[in-house]
Amino acid sequence: MTDKKKLGLNKKDSNDDMINLVDNLNRDDDMKFNRRAFLKTAVGTSIALGLATVPFSVRAMLGMAEEEFERTEIAKTADVPKGSSVTFKYPTDNDPALLIHTKNGDWLAYNSACPHLMCPVFYEPEKEELVCPCHKGYFDLHSGQPMAGPPQRELPLIEIDISNGVVYAIGRKVRHG
Amino acid sequence: MGKKICWGIIFITIAINVVMLQWTIEAYLGLEYEKIYGYTIVGVVSAIIAFITFLKWRKLEYTSE
Ligand code: FES
Repeated sequence: MTDKKKLGLNKKDSNDDMINLVDNLNRDDDMKFNRRAFLKTAVGTSIALGLATVPFSVRAMLGMAEEEFERTEIAKTADVPKGSSVTFKYPTDNDPALLIHTKNGDWLAYNSACPHLMCPVFYEPEKEELVCPCHKGYFDLHSGQPMAGPPQRELPLIEIDISNGVVYAIGRKVRHG
Repeated sequence: MGKKICWGIIFITIAINVVMLQWTIEAYLGLEYEKIYGYTIVGVVSAIIAFITFLKWRKLEYTSE
């Protein structure tokens, strides 16, 4: 700020200390330092957002290792009359699932966490459809595919096997149909 | 590469990373694990680009005084 010929904003042609006190109030400097701080924040935001995807990958890697399915008893056929459903957990205790006995006598099973935001999905026997009450998501009963509402993905299909009056879960297909 | 371009690149990386984070969460909830890795790679690469661009910008900004 010693350039005398070109006087900047807020500058007086004097060396008097009491006049040049406004030196620290230069608007251009102010702008510049604010811009710098702003860009630094922006860079920090970008990096934070980019790195925030990493934990999901780590979780996914850990989760993938456990893709082994056990044959698990769900229910006795006698306990699930036509037009009703029971809940169970499969393949792990953190995966709620729904076993459905349709009015026509078909047996179907899906994981019941809504693929939108994980609300539980219910079997609606009157209309023979699967409903997520949270944001009015509807799924096709026979394919698990989303029909209406926000869900974009199908419900994971649980493969079942019925023998001697007992329904067993034997596997799961996340992508199907 | 000018300072303006650096700003541009940094803002583009923010946009990319916002989208990547959203898609990652959706893929995670949808159990589409293969996709998550792709998104994470894009997200991390774009974070690295943001950082490198920042270093470049810093050099230009603080040496042009
Ligand atoms: S959580 Fe099921 S529709 Fe939103």
